[in-house]
Amino acid sequence: MEQAELQEKIYEFMQKMKGKKKLKEKDIIKHISGETGEDKDVVKKALRAMIDEGRLMYSYGGGASSVEIPSEEYLREKGLIK
Amino acid sequence: MALPERKTDIGPPHYEQFLPPVIKKNYGKWLYHEVLSPGTMKHVAESGDEIYTVRVASPRLLSTDSIRDICEIADKYCDGYLRFTTRNNIEFLVSDKSKLDPLVKELKEKNYTIGGIGPRVSNIVHTQGWVHCHSACTDASGLVKSIMDELYEYFTEKELPNKVRLAVACCVNMCGAVHCSDIAIVAVHRKPPVVDDENVPKLCEIPTTVASCPTAAIRPNPKTKSIIINEERCMYCGNCFTVCPPISIHNPEEDGVAIVVGGKVSNLRSDPKFSKLAIPFFYNDPPRWPKVVQAVKNILETYAKHARKHERVGEWVERIGWERFFSLTGIEFTFQHIDDFTFARDTFRTSAAFKF
Amino acid sequence: MSGKYKTPMLDELEKGPWPSFVTEIKKAAKKSDMAEDELGQLEKSYNTKRGYWKHGGIVGVLGYGGGVIGRYSSLPEEFPGVAHFHTVRVNQPSGFFYTTKALREICDIWDKYGSGLTNLHGSTGDLVLLGTKTENLEAVFAELSSRGWDLGGSGSAMRTPSCCVGMARCEWANIDTMDLCNELTQYYQDQLHRPAFPYKFKIKISGCACDCVAAIARADLSIIGTWKDSIQINQDEVRKYAEAGLDIQKEIVDMCPTQCMYYNPEDKTLKIADAECNRCMHCIAKMTKALRPGKEKGATLLVGSKAPIVVGSLLSWVIVPFMKLTPPYDDLKELIDKMIEWWDDNAKPRERIGELIEAKGMRAFLEAIGVPPMPQQVKEPRKDPFFFWAESDFKK
Ligand code: SF4
Ligand code: SF4
Ligand code: SF4
Ligand code: SF4
Repeated sequence: MEQAELQEKIYEFMQKMKGKKKLKEKDIIKHISGETGEDKDVVKKALRAMIDEGRLMYSYGGGASSVEIPSEEYLREKGLIK
Repeated sequence: MALPERKTDIGPPHYEQFLPPVIKKNYGKWLYHEVLSPGTMKHVAESGDEIYTVRVASPRLLSTDSIRDICEIADKYCDGYLRFTTRNNIEFLVSDKSKLDPLVKELKEKNYTIGGIGPRVSNIVHTQGWVHCHSACTDASGLVKSIMDELYEYFTEKELPNKVRLAVACCVNMCGAVHCSDIAIVAVHRKPPVVDDENVPKLCEIPTTVASCPTAAIRPNPKTKSIIINEERCMYCGNCFTVCPPISIHNPEEDGVAIVVGGKVSNLRSDPKFSKLAIPFFYNDPPRWPKVVQAVKNILETYAKHARKHERVGEWVERIGWERFFSLTGIEFTFQHIDDFTFARDTFRTSAAFKF
Repeated sequence: MSGKYKTPMLDELEKGPWPSFVTEIKKAAKKSDMAEDELGQLEKSYNTKRGYWKHGGIVGVLGYGGGVIGRYSSLPEEFPGVAHFHTVRVNQPSGFFYTTKALREICDIWDKYGSGLTNLHGSTGDLVLLGTKTENLEAVFAELSSRGWDLGGSGSAMRTPSCCVGMARCEWANIDTMDLCNELTQYYQDQLHRPAFPYKFKIKISGCACDCVAAIARADLSIIGTWKDSIQINQDEVRKYAEAGLDIQKEIVDMCPTQCMYYNPEDKTLKIADAECNRCMHCIAKMTKALRPGKEKGATLLVGSKAPIVVGSLLSWVIVPFMKLTPPYDDLKELIDKMIEWWDDNAKPRERIGELIEAKGMRAFLEAIGVPPMPQQVKEPRKDPFFFWAESDFKK
């Protein structure tokens, strides 16, 4: 699977889970790898690339870290979008 | 304005570039050290080379201007080399012996507090408090300042049987090794948290919140989609508040601090030990917490008077027995002192030999 | 800017001889609105006896999940300068050594983008920059990292390792704590910056049993230097200590916890039955010129300590009584990887490795990391005759 395609799958999954459950990197990798049959390392790489460009982000709440879709407001505050 | 290009995962700068030449040269080849005064020591290497250290207290919270002042002194006397200790002291590293006395003189003139080496009270390890933490139920910096003003001469001068390590934590999360200090202050809650039923369902995962309680005092409330706390089971740890912000544990009128004593981390003579409860509660009494300060001083001075040379607070108490600790210090013994949590049964006395 | 707030409560804490944190905040407040509002909000806390910070929020630098702690005031209208007041954790160099040049560089960056307030250092060991706004974070990071500094850990991640001064200035160091700390920090960069663990994982390294960084009380992995052979004795120096008035019998021999020392006052010589010595460091620390640790040096690895949240505080437990540690420390790294893997596979969210060992049993942990049972791992064997047998125990 192309990395871009894989990333769409990840993003879809993140959207579906938004507000339902806090996901750790591991949970996402496990789920997407199971769904697509791609190797965990490949999924991890795709996920990391999304985090590096700010499409997804690490978050912290309730005493634990997770991965989330960043809000526009946050990206604006950080000067990543106008 | 263009920013320089960021780099990731480079890690900290390599320490070697920050070492004074005499340290680099004698790295791993130190032979012995001597304490010259309560705030200065000399390390001698196998090669015969020497380095002198002058230790100065810091409030840990430092402004950039103060750091620059410190840097200026280090430039003048230490060729620009200095370090910090785990207990938040500043150490000026003097390679040229002839600069030692002038450095000490200038530090004194500028009102720096020199000391903390040898059998004394060292700087207090502490946490953020109201200055910067959401969880704080007291202010660590204020307590530290108040206590150290009172114990000042035990840092700069007076000897004790051994080192006394003090610590302050502004909640039971206890950032720092407060639970293994000779004398430590820990801020505690005394009332179960109050639940904001409207916001809990919006902001928290209910199963995670329920699971966060170590005493299983929390259960879901299907009606409100929030949670209910069984107040009798709650021991006010605040873990639910960490996990779920709308559960508020803060209660300014009933929060306060406890004093624990007798912990140690070194293995010298006896095993490392946890600190144990000495005084269960004081009301927060800012800005100077006078009762807490006096209680710490009383424990310290009782120890100074009765302990044998080289005994740490915990070793002294274990030798004389806790019942004796309470009679010597005059501290009242209460129900709070008797453990009823995880390891309670190991703390009940199982011998008929004890003191009155 | 200064003088916006009257602070009678905090002013009290500028009195007295000990250096005052209030003076520091005031110094910073002369230059920074953020520091000034910090002062105002703190004065309010002193009056009402409560803090005004919200739970940490979501902030960070692009690609990282740690190193920045989000902090927002719950009174942003009253104290707009601290509406955002995030902490930046800068990974300290091993042993907390600095040059003034390096410190000044950090000060300049921080005056430009932050409140001008710092903690030297945070409890974990990081150089803490206290108070900046979300929009400044990328700039702070670019300025720092382009000059060779990186962020430390936070959240459910490897936390910034820290160590004692070790071989740089201590004659008792049995291992090169600063080198090891630096090596491990570099090795775990990914785990440090991208939180993927069940909870935090702390590593602390002390060069001997004096344990100056309190490794045994506050690290998931405590590495403590030790030796295996005999204490090195210099009898000339023993004699000099005696002649200088040290009561060797009372202060050294009688306080030796294993009663393994013998002093002969006639010829002023000291003997140690090394097989009985538990390497507690008492005698060496008190007679540093005469006694030195042995020559076969290494470290004890202990696992599991933590503060009381949630089911009570733990001290670390001995797992590997002795391990030689030489660069590049591959055996150690492999072992730590195994520990983390087992923990990661088995722990619930927010469960520390010590708690997991309690829940699953020490045997499960030892088998997972391939360490055999040894008497050094326990204070005493179990007392009651209830014990498990595994299939593998029968085949022997
Ligand atoms: S001890 Fe508690 S209140 Fe204090 S800094 Fe740590 S978490 Fe915050
Ligand atoms: S404060 Fe602690 S004991 Fe009380 S309900 Fe919350 S988690 Fe449970
Ligand atoms: S822990 Fe031991 S080796 Fe390290 S600085 Fe302290 S006394 Fe020296
Ligand atoms: S190190 Fe401790 S146990 Fe060993 S001889 Fe010295 S005092 Fe005794």
